Amino acid sequence: MKLNTDMTVNRITDQIWEIPVTEKDGMRVPARIYATETILPEMDTGVFEQVTNVACMPGIRRYALCMPDGHWGYGFPIGGVAAFDPAEGVISPGGVGYDINCGMRLIRTDLTLADVKPRLEALMTELFRQVPAGVGSRGTVRLNRREFDDVMRKGARWCVERGLGWHEDLERLEEHGCLQGADPSIVSDQAVERGHSQLGTLGSGNHYLEVQVVSDDRIFDPDTAAAFGIIGRDQIVVMVHCGSRGFGHQVASDYLKVFEKAMRRYGITVKDQQLACAPFRSPEGQDYFAAMNGAANSAFANRQAITHQIREAFSTVFGMPAESLGMHVIYDVAHNIAKVEKYAEGDLVVHRKGSTRAYGPGRPELPKLYRHVGQPVICGGSMETGSYLLVGTDQAMQDTFGSTMHGSGRTMSRAQAKRTVRGDQIRKQMADRGIIVKAVSLSGLAEEAGVAYKNISDVVETVDGAGITKKVAELRPIGNIKG
Amino acid sequence: MASDFHFLEHVALADAAFEAVGDSPSDLFTAAARAVIETMVNPVTVGSVWKRDMGRDDPELPGLLFDWLSDLVFLKDAEGVMFSDISVSVTEDRAMRVWRLHGTLIGEPLDQDRQELRSDVKAVTKHLYKVWQEDNHWKARVVLDI
Repeated sequence: MKLNTDMTVNRITDQIWEIPVTEKDGMRVPARIYATETILPEMDTGVFEQVTNVACMPGIRRYALCMPDGHWGYGFPIGGVAAFDPAEGVISPGGVGYDINCGMRLIRTDLTLADVKPRLEALMTELFRQVPAGVGSRGTVRLNRREFDDVMRKGARWCVERGLGWHEDLERLEEHGCLQGADPSIVSDQAVERGHSQLGTLGSGNHYLEVQVVSDDRIFDPDTAAAFGIIGRDQIVVMVHCGSRGFGHQVASDYLKVFEKAMRRYGITVKDQQLACAPFRSPEGQDYFAAMNGAANSAFANRQAITHQIREAFSTVFGMPAESLGMHVIYDVAHNIAKVEKYAEGDLVVHRKGSTRAYGPGRPELPKLYRHVGQPVICGGSMETGSYLLVGTDQAMQDTFGSTMHGSGRTMSRAQAKRTVRGDQIRKQMADRGIIVKAVSLSGLAEEAGVAYKNISDVVETVDGAGITKKVAELRPIGNIKG
Repeated sequence: MASDFHFLEHVALADAAFEAVGDSPSDLFTAAARAVIETMVNPVTVGSVWKRDMGRDDPELPGLLFDWLSDLVFLKDAEGVMFSDISVSVTEDRAMRVWRLHGTLIGEPLDQDRQELRSDVKAVTKHLYKVWQEDNHWKARVVLDI
């Protein structure tokens, strides 16, 4: 098997590959990559370099991990998971990413394809109107500093208190849509200036809003699906992928600068400037953690505001309240985050960058209505190939710090994608297949073509085979909004 | 060649990487800013009703370039503007051991109907970030988070 690395990569199981600590100076733990024999050769050279760079970081425990959707990022690979001892280890903005709490939300409906198809064009037009997308997109509300500080402290609850959501929504979000310990006082005015007009906006890049169908033959675990509110029968669901927008990006930029200086003070060296880090319990580490929690809460609020706008759009098009359409949130989960979580070793600072928390059944952190089955895991595919709903497992708790994949993972650069396909071609091809696309940027559409991504089904089979998440249902797109 | 840039194909797949080159630091800063702007928009489609004078100092040229490019990303969100052109002058004050930048950004408010918008740059990153001199040229390699 030809891989994009000269490093020794040992097979542990059919889905787990290990790079031993002898492969790079400074590795403190082995690196483990989750992939099948089909996926591993597709992984770019950056994955191998970056996951072994992460394995060199102070205080890392067990393994530096990369999920099967992994690809070249900056600092950590996308798909990266790493856990650090809070006393001896570090926290790194490069292990979270610029888009703090970029994540996924899934909303169910009682509608079926037969209900929606005749009004799909009107629905997508209304969603495109209600949910601003694209470069520098701005929401309908402009918040002042005091209001934005409240968003940082309260997260999704800030929205629900203002009528932008239902109280039951909060029960169905990771951490109830609010991470504790956010401190607005250590967030720059510049960060707030970038974010104060962006609440309720999608952004661009790989962010999207998608209307999807669940058919009976694509439900793999009917009992768990039913627990999540998925009944099949060509049921319509809505998926949202976005994060903390300019606000979170600026928080990350601000603290990378702080950490570059802090590393000199603490005598820390890293293999890549983008892995700048500080001891978790240092003043700089705690400040970043508190600021990151505030940015993460703004992302929960952003997806909550978008949920409200989605319900408004459905209500307008179908002429009845969202409650009557059964538009309950299924779940909302981050895939760019650092959190303190409890494992066999005790508390660990778990970094997930392009990977998703995947708690198994019985965990007290899960909503009561899902505690008997495990956490819903929402994985977005490319806009052409569909997405998956999975469920967390005990195996993930044992093997991957309760983590799994987050999407399909790119195999082609943005420039190459644009040379391979044109945005207007993709829009037409998708229309021919019954998928309506509304996009602000045609070049952005080409960059996100299905051909630029791994086959999500291969990625899902890897985590299902490894047992770190199990398939529940496949979600097929019929309408997509992109920035 | 006074200043130029090209995008790098196989670096940071989900993001945008470019190499900029100029005969002088001013030319390098011009080329790099144009690369950031071209990542976000087709500048030909952007008007020129908004103008902002910029000034920055930094003892290190790489730090100055990083902040100059980051300013473009910040203003795109904070001011809601897009850029059609820039001019920039970078000089070394040897007595004070500092590099000084004076620049002007020209553009107009974001308009999705009229401007050919491309990617929303989240940040200028330090991944593989490098500024160097080679064969009488100034060069920089930059990865943008998209």
